[in-house]
Amino acid sequence: MTITSPTFMHNSLYKRFLAILFAAIAPAAIFAQAAATDIVEPPKEFDPSSWDWVSILIWVLVALIILVIARAFDIGGLAEKVTGKKIASSNKVNATVGIIILILGMAGVFWEISNHGKHLLLWDAASEHGATIDSMFMVTFGFTFVVFVVTEILLFYFMYRYQYSEKRKAHYYFHNNKLEMIWTIIPAIVLTFLVLRGFDTWTKITYRGAADHEDYNKDYEIEVFAYQFGWKARYCGEDNKFGEANFNFISGTNPLGVAVSEQVDSLVVSLNTQVAELEAIKAAVKDSTAVWQKEYNRMVSTGLSKAYVKDFAALTEKLNDVKCGAYERKLEKEIDRKKTNLTRIANYRAMPDVFNKAGNDDRVVTELVLVKNKSYRFRFRARDVIHSAYIPEFRVQMNCVPGMSTIFPFTPTKTTAEARQLKGNQEFDYYLYCNKICGAAHYNMKIKITVVENEAEFNKWVAAQAPLVAPPASATPAAPATSDSTATQPAIAIR
Amino acid sequence: MSTASLHTDHHAQDHHDHHHKETFISKYVFSMDHKMISKQFLITGIIMGCAGLIMSLLFRLQLAWPDEQFGLLQTLLGKWAVDGKLDPNFYMGLVTIHGTIMVFYVLTAGLSGTFSNLLIPLQLGARDMASPFMNMLSYWFFFVSSVVMLSSVFIETGPASGGWTVYPPLSALEKAMPGSGLGMTLWLVAIALFIVSSLLGGINYISTVLNMRTKGMSMNRMPLTIWAFFFTAVLGLLSFPVVLGAALFLIFDRSFGTSFYLSDIYLEGVGALENVGGSPILYQHLFWFLGHPEVYIILMPALGITSEVISTNARKPIFGYTAMIISLMGISFLSFIVWGHHMFVTGMNPFIGSVFMILTLIIAVPSAVKVFNYLTTLWRGNLRFTPAMLFSIGLVSLFISGGLTGIYLGNAAMDIQLHDSYFVVAHFHLVMGSASIFGMFAGIYHWFPRMYGRMLNNNLGYFHFWLTFISAYLVFFPMHFMGLAGVPRRYYQFTLLKDFEVWADTNKLITIAAMVGGFAQLLFLYNFFNSIFRGKKAEQNPWQSNTLEWSAPVEHIHGNWPGEIPTVYRGPYEYSRPDREEDFFPQYVPDESAPETLEPVKTKKAPKTEELAEKQETSTVFFAAIKKVFGLS
Amino acid sequence: MENTQVQKIKDKPPLIAPAKFNIILIMMSSSMLFAAFLSAFMVHQPDAKAKETWTYFDLPVFFLVSLVIAALSSVTMVLAKRAGAADELGKLKTFIFATLMLGLAFCVSQYLGWQQLVEMGLTFVNPRPEDISASYVWVITVVHVVHVLGGIILLFIALVKSFKMQIHKKQMTFLSVTNTYWHFVGFLWFILYLFLYFAR
Repeated sequence: MTITSPTFMHNSLYKRFLAILFAAIAPAAIFAQAAATDIVEPPKEFDPSSWDWVSILIWVLVALIILVIARAFDIGGLAEKVTGKKIASSNKVNATVGIIILILGMAGVFWEISNHGKHLLLWDAASEHGATIDSMFMVTFGFTFVVFVVTEILLFYFMYRYQYSEKRKAHYYFHNNKLEMIWTIIPAIVLTFLVLRGFDTWTKITYRGAADHEDYNKDYEIEVFAYQFGWKARYCGEDNKFGEANFNFISGTNPLGVAVSEQVDSLVVSLNTQVAELEAIKAAVKDSTAVWQKEYNRMVSTGLSKAYVKDFAALTEKLNDVKCGAYERKLEKEIDRKKTNLTRIANYRAMPDVFNKAGNDDRVVTELVLVKNKSYRFRFRARDVIHSAYIPEFRVQMNCVPGMSTIFPFTPTKTTAEARQLKGNQEFDYYLYCNKICGAAHYNMKIKITVVENEAEFNKWVAAQAPLVAPPASATPAAPATSDSTATQPAIAIR
Repeated sequence: MSTASLHTDHHAQDHHDHHHKETFISKYVFSMDHKMISKQFLITGIIMGCAGLIMSLLFRLQLAWPDEQFGLLQTLLGKWAVDGKLDPNFYMGLVTIHGTIMVFYVLTAGLSGTFSNLLIPLQLGARDMASPFMNMLSYWFFFVSSVVMLSSVFIETGPASGGWTVYPPLSALEKAMPGSGLGMTLWLVAIALFIVSSLLGGINYISTVLNMRTKGMSMNRMPLTIWAFFFTAVLGLLSFPVVLGAALFLIFDRSFGTSFYLSDIYLEGVGALENVGGSPILYQHLFWFLGHPEVYIILMPALGITSEVISTNARKPIFGYTAMIISLMGISFLSFIVWGHHMFVTGMNPFIGSVFMILTLIIAVPSAVKVFNYLTTLWRGNLRFTPAMLFSIGLVSLFISGGLTGIYLGNAAMDIQLHDSYFVVAHFHLVMGSASIFGMFAGIYHWFPRMYGRMLNNNLGYFHFWLTFISAYLVFFPMHFMGLAGVPRRYYQFTLLKDFEVWADTNKLITIAAMVGGFAQLLFLYNFFNSIFRGKKAEQNPWQSNTLEWSAPVEHIHGNWPGEIPTVYRGPYEYSRPDREEDFFPQYVPDESAPETLEPVKTKKAPKTEELAEKQETSTVFFAAIKKVFGLS
Repeated sequence: MENTQVQKIKDKPPLIAPAKFNIILIMMSSSMLFAAFLSAFMVHQPDAKAKETWTYFDLPVFFLVSLVIAALSSVTMVLAKRAGAADELGKLKTFIFATLMLGLAFCVSQYLGWQQLVEMGLTFVNPRPEDISASYVWVITVVHVVHVLGGIILLFIALVKSFKMQIHKKQMTFLSVTNTYWHFVGFLWFILYLFLYFAR
C-alpha cells in the first residue's frame, strides 16, 4: 500500500501514538515504583519548590502532542474527498480494529479472571450463610458470563461481517414477533429461576434473625456500636441481659450510653457544670465584649491584624456575632440542648425499668471474639451518622442507623487460625469495616474479629474484660469502667 | 371550535412575527428558539463534563498513589492538598460533586436537554416547542444551577461531601463533616434550581410530543428517539418533585431544627442533640424514588439515540419497532417500583426486600429485549462506521456488560456482599458513565451537522472512540474484581488496610487508563470547537437519513421550515426497501404508489413457501450466526 | 424570509391549546410533590407512634374555614368562566374579582390557622421534638399556600386582562387555564385537609 493511503497513515499514527503514550507513562511508572517501596515511611517534610518539573513537562508534552495530532488529522481530512472508496477503507480499519479489540478484550477478561480470581472471596466463606451467597453468585455468573461472551462476540462479529459494500443492500427485516417472544420468554425464565433462588437465599438469611424464629433465643447477641470514627462492641455479661442504652446517657466514660447509674450520675453533674459555665459566660457577655473590643482596637492600631490574620478574623467574627445577637443565641442554644439532655435523663430516671442494673456487668470492648460454629446475632447501633458494618469474609453487611437498631444473624465456620492456614498468611485477621460514607476517616474505621475454637477460650477472654461496673464483692478498687484503654485487655491467644 | 383553535394558533404563532429584529441578547443569550437552547444545553453540559472529569482524575490520583506527594496538587488546591496529598474531606467533596455533576448536569440536562430540545420539534414537524418561553427559562435555571454547584467547590469549608446521595444525618449536621455546612446548602440550592429546570423542560417535551406533531405523524410513525425522550420526560415529571420534597425536608432539618430525618444523635464535641422522632431511612426512600427513575432518565435517551443511529448507519429498519416501544414503556413503568433495591441493607423489612428484588429482576427483561433487537438490526445490515455508529455499537457493548452485573446487584442476597463495594461502582459506571455518555457522543457526532451546519472530523472521531472505549473497559472492568474481594467504595485510601493492599497495582492501572481516557476527550473538544467554525460545510442530509429533521434547511431559521411543514407519509425506518433503488426512503417524500411499508402480510392462508421461509428465519437467526462463527455450514 | 401569511393558515393546529396542556402537566407534577409529603407522613407516623414521639392535636378551626372559602372561590371561578364564555364582561370582572378576594381570604385564614398552631405551642421548629407531627402539618400547609399564591397571580393577571377586554368568548385560553389551576389548588386543599383530619 502506498504511503499516502489512509490505512497506512492510520497504522503508523497508531504506532506513533502508542509510543508517545508509553513514554508519558514511564514517569508515572517510576512514581509507582517509588510509592511501592515508600509505603511504610512517613511522609517527608514537603517543599513546593522541589516539584518534579520533569514529570509535569512530560504530561504537558503529551497534551500538546495530542493536539498536534488532532491538527494533523484536520489537514488530512480536508485533503480527502468523500468517495465511496473512502468509506470502505476507514470502514475496514474500524471493523478490523473492532475484531482486534474483541480478541484482546476477551483475552483481558480471561486474564483478569485467572489472575484476580485468587483475590476474590468467592470460595471460602467463613460463615454458614456465606456459602449460600457464594453458590448463588456462581449460578448467576454461569448464566451471565455465557450471555456476555456470546453477545459481545456477535456484536463485533456482525460489525466485521456486515461492513458497508456498495454491491449489496441491507436485508429489509422489520420485525418478527416469534423471535421477540423467544427472547422475551427465555430471559424471563432464566431470571425467574434466579429470582426464586435469590428469594430463597435471602429469606433464609434474613428470617433467621426474626424475633419469632424458633432459634431466636439460642442466638448469642452482641451489640456493635458505630461512631465517627471507630467501632465498639458490647457483650452482655453473666446475666445474659443487655442494659438499656440511650444516646442521652453517652459521655466520655460511657461511650455507648448504657444505663448505669454511676456513669449517668457523673454525666448529670458534668452537664450541670457546663450549663452553669455557659450561663456565666452569657451573663458576662457585656464585659467580655469590652475586653474583645479593646483587643480588636489594639490589633488594628498596632498593625498586628495583618500579622495574626486568622486570629484577627476569628476575633472580628466573634464581635460581629455579639453585635447581631448571634453569639448569645448560640450560647442559649447550647444551654437549651444540655438542659433538654438533663430533662430527658430525669425522665428516664423516673421510669421503672431503665436503670435496672442489667448493664452493670456488660463488657464494652474494642475487638470482637466469636466462637466457631456458634450462632450469633449482631445488633447494630450508631451514635451520630449512618455507618455500615461490613464483614466481607463472613458475607455480612448491615447499615448502622442512628435512631434505630438493625440486626444480622450469622454463624462463623472458620477460626482465625484455620483461615490463616488456608490463606497461607500468618498475619491475616478478620475485620469489620465501615461501608457507608460517614466523614473524613471513613476509610480507617475497622474492628478486628477473632474466631476461636471453643467456648472455653471465649469465656476466658470475656471474663478478662472489664465490666462497666466492678462487682461490689471485689476488694480491689473498681476497675476503670472504660473501654478505650486496650492495655487492660489481654490479647486473645491464637493457636 | 375551529375558530377558537385558529385564534389560539394565532396566539401561539404570534411571537414569530415580532422577531424580525434580533439583538445579540435575544439571539444568543435569552434565545427562545429550541435549536439555540439545545446548543446552550450542550455547551454547558460539555463544560460541566470537563469539570467532572477533572475531579475524577484528581481523586483517582489519590487512589493510585496514596503515599505520593504531588507539588502540582498543592499549588492548584492550596489548603486542600497540604503537603501535596489530597485532604480526605476534600477527596470526598470531589467524589460527591463529580457524581452530582455527571448524573444531573451532564447526563440529564446535557443529554436530555440537548437532544430533546433539538430533535422533538424537528423530528415531529413542529415550528418550535409548546412554550418557548418556558424552554428559555429551563435553560437559564440550569445555567444558574451549574454556576452555584461549581462555585460550591471553591468555598472555604469545602463542597458537599456526603456522596452524591447526601444521606442525612451526615449531610444534615454541619459538625459531622465540614462539607455539610455552607457547601451542602449550596448543593441543595443548586439542585432545587436544577429540578425546576428539569420540570420546565419536561413539561415542554411532553406537551410538544402529544400535541404538536405534523400531518401524518401518528404516534407509531415517530422515531424511537422521540419515544425515548417522551418517556424520559414523563419519568422526570413524576419523580423530580419527590426529591424536591426530600430536599425540602433536609433543608428544614439543617436550618430550622426539625427532626424529619434526625433522631437519637450524639455528636462528638457537641453532645446529645435535641432531635428525636425522625428517620434517616425516610430520606433514602424519598431520594431513591427519584434516584432509580433518574438512572433510566439517563439511559433511555441514550438508547433512543442509539436506535436512530444504528438504523441509519446499518441502512436497515430498526428491528422490532413496536417491541422497542413496549420495552421503553415497561422500563418506564417498572422504574417507579424498584427503588428499594438501593436499600437492601438498611435493615428494612425483609419481605419488602423480597418484593423489590423480584420487581428489579423483571426490569432486566425489557433491557435484554432491546439489546437483542440492536443485535438483530446489525445482522445482515450494510454497516457504515461513522463515529456516531461506532459510539452506538460501543453503547451496546457497554450496556451488555453493565446491565448483566445489575442482575447480581438486584439479587438481595448477593447485594449483602456487594452493596457499596467497587462492584457497584463498576456496574453503574459501565451503564451510566460509559453507555450513556457514548449515547451522548453518538448524538453529538450524528446531529452536529444539524446543530452547526458543519461536519465533525471523522478521523478524530475514530480515535476518540477507540481510545475512550478501551479506557472505559480498562478503568471499570477491574473494579468488579475489587468489589468481589470486598473492597468498599468511597474510601480515601487502602494502604491502611492490609487486606486491600493487593489492589494497589490495579488502582494504578485504572488511574493511568482513566488519564488516557481523559486525554482522549481533548481530541473530542478540539474537534468539536474547531468544527463549529472551520468544519466542512454540511449538506442537507449527510447521513442519508429518513427522519424529518434533515428536511429542514441547513441554515437555521425560526419556525424550522420555510413555508409549509412537511407531511409525513410513512415510518422513519424504511431503509433498503427492495422496491426502491436508493437504500433509504425519507418519511416526508410523497409517493402515492409506494405502500407504507413492505412487511409481509399475515393471512390465515399464507402460502407454504412464505411460512417456511419465516419459520426458517426465526430459528436460524442465532444458529446461522453461530454456524458462521464456528465455520460450520 | 418566511411567508408568515401562508404559515398561519396551513400549520396544523395543536390538538389542545399548549397552555392548557402544560397546566395539566404542572398539576401532575405538583400532585407528586404532595404525594411525597403525604407518603412521608404515612411512613413516619407508625414508627414515631411506637417511640411515643408523635403528638395528636386538633387541627385549628381556621383550616376548616379555609376549606369553606376554597369551595366558595371555586364556585365564583366557575361563574367567572361561564360569564366569559357568554361574553358577559361585567359579570366576568365581578366574579374574577370575587375569586381573587376569596383567594386572599384563604391565605389570611391559613395564616390565622398557623397562629392558632403557634398558640397551641406547635411551632414549626419543634420546641418539643415530639411535635414532628406538627412539622408535617406546617410543611404541607405552607407549600400549599405557595401554590395558592401562584393561582392568585394568575387571577390577578386575569383581572387585568378582563379590564383590558382581552378575555371574551374567543379568547378563553387564559381564563380556562386559571380556572383549571384554581380548582386544582382548591381540590388539593380538600384532599389535604381530609387526610390530615383522619390520619392524625
